[in-house]
Amino acid sequence: MSTPHVDPSTEKSLSIWFFVGVLILSCGLIIFCQGIYEFSHPGTTVLAELHPAFWWGMLMVLFGGFYTINFRPRKG
Amino acid sequence: MHVAPIPAVFVFATQLTHLAPVDLAILIIYFAMVIFIGFYVKGSTNTSEEFFLAGREMSAWIAGLSFVSANLGSLELMGWAGAAYQYGILATHWYWIGAIPAMLFLGIVMMPFYYISKTHSVPGYLQLRFGEGARALSGVSFAFMTVLMSGVNMYSMALVMKVVLGWNINFSMWVGAITVAIYVMLGGLRSAIINEVLQFVLIWAGAALIPILGLIEAGGWTNLKAQIVTRMADPSYIHLWSTTGSFDSNPMGIHWTGLVFGLGFVISFGYWTTDFLVVQRVLSANNLRAARLAPIIGSAFKMFVPFFVILPGLLALVLLKDSAGHLIQLYPDGSDMVVNHGMHSFNEVLPLMMVRYLGPGLLGLGITALIAGFMSGMAGNVSAFSTVWTYDIYGAYINKKASDSHYVSMGRWSTIVGMAVSVGTAYLVMGAASIMDYVQELFSFFIAPLFGTVILGMLWKRASKAGGFWGLLCGTASSIAMWAMVYHNKANIRFMILQPHASADTIMRVQAMAANLYRALWSWCVCVIVTIVVSYMTKATPEAQLTGLVYGSTVIPHDGSRNIYEKPIFWAVVIATVLFILNLWLW
Repeated sequence: MSTPHVDPSTEKSLSIWFFVGVLILSCGLIIFCQGIYEFSHPGTTVLAELHPAFWWGMLMVLFGGFYTINFRPRKG
Repeated sequence: MHVAPIPAVFVFATQLTHLAPVDLAILIIYFAMVIFIGFYVKGSTNTSEEFFLAGREMSAWIAGLSFVSANLGSLELMGWAGAAYQYGILATHWYWIGAIPAMLFLGIVMMPFYYISKTHSVPGYLQLRFGEGARALSGVSFAFMTVLMSGVNMYSMALVMKVVLGWNINFSMWVGAITVAIYVMLGGLRSAIINEVLQFVLIWAGAALIPILGLIEAGGWTNLKAQIVTRMADPSYIHLWSTTGSFDSNPMGIHWTGLVFGLGFVISFGYWTTDFLVVQRVLSANNLRAARLAPIIGSAFKMFVPFFVILPGLLALVLLKDSAGHLIQLYPDGSDMVVNHGMHSFNEVLPLMMVRYLGPGLLGLGITALIAGFMSGMAGNVSAFSTVWTYDIYGAYINKKASDSHYVSMGRWSTIVGMAVSVGTAYLVMGAASIMDYVQELFSFFIAPLFGTVILGMLWKRASKAGGFWGLLCGTASSIAMWAMVYHNKANIRFMILQPHASADTIMRVQAMAANLYRALWSWCVCVIVTIVVSYMTKATPEAQLTGLVYGSTVIPHDGSRNIYEKPIFWAVVIATVLFILNLWLW
């Protein structure tokens, strides 16, 4: 089988890391909001008093936000 | 890894939990993104190189994460968390000595040959080195196995979703199959790789919180170890090597020779350096340096996977309690306590720990990570199947002179057909669950001898075409024969572990996964010996035909590293040193 030369012009502009950022940012936002809600409606899981949803959600928002902004599609 | 101790059936007692609306929102976001990626990258998968090898445009980081992620399926995560509960920290060996040295070896020694030869697959390399016979044998067996494994993954996902969340099995299977078929058919390996990177990040995000909260609850690592020793009355649960001096002194019934030579050398090197499912990811790298660095980057992440796989299993030994505060005892799958008394099985460790610590939102993330793991397992198998089918079977024997666009079209159609066969396999497994065990055994028949053939092909110029083919065939046949011998009578294990006078107690203690290590070792030896003998009896391949394929006949081009920090060997030494220190720490 022949394997023709790859045309770089077919490359799309969205980076894989942008997808990673958007996914983690979206999930992180949902979890972070749930974490805020749990301050007034405490969860029933073990160690819920440590508010893991709030802190983990915040970490994910920061991580996802960084990747989304840093690898966002740019003109040119 | 292919040797994960997954039993025939995941028999979960009752539905463990249910998803809240926020959990469903996370799941829907994931599915929407996966489908979007498939449609998005379709425009950049027009040639065979783009469809089957992602255009060889991936950076070292992406190829490396995809390389390690292709192996990080949910079946494996749940199985090894259960193994850690059952056998203790010994299960870590399958992530460390059973993976890291082989990954480093692939990057430093083998990758240049795969990459320089411009092969598109491992069977393709065998064709270049040993001719059509070796390619046909490995290509057909690989295509057959991958499509079956995809079906096993599909059924496992549906079963886990049923028992954890109460979802209908048919619904889970078809949603998973259709989603994977869409994004692999549209975007080929490129789409599969993007989703594997997403899955990798999701698994870390979804699973890392369990050991963190577990260690907080246990009062730290030192307290956890003390509690495990107290509960199990057996220090071997927290030692990696010190209890492997005899088959009788550890819960796995394993000896260090099996770990070092069987697991650390043959099985591990066979899987990580010759299984096309993982090697395909590295072949997508955009230059030789990236191709060499990718497995090394993957190994660095692999080294920390036990943190969220093995550690939850160990934590469960002392923390998993019912509502009255009593420790929950888990049992082997299929045992009387599980089947007839509604108790939980070993393989439920991870979902049970998830339910213990993860509330709404976080639970959705954990479940999405599991589903992503299953789906990327299916996608990995189907994309590898599609490549081997199109290049090494269809393009090699059925239609040799078609246009490039025809092969891309065949790749897309074979993805659909492969997925359809996987669905059929899934229903077959549903009807006769023991098929799952046999399918997983299939991998072990081929992978160890294949490593013997490939490594001799790369490092020994005198290995002839006939030697390569007969070595592979005899090695595989010997592996099947040994499996049948033990299947017929477990007492025959004593010959495989070189203890012909072993007591009945010792034979009972040697678990299937320990026996597999020796089966792999002996089948590799058979392959190597037959290859050497037949090679000396037959005509050597002319040196000119070995350029780019064999050490000693190939000038390895400079990979572009300018200083020591850019050299793959530097990072390989760093990782090997960290691995050594970790093993000493947990000796």
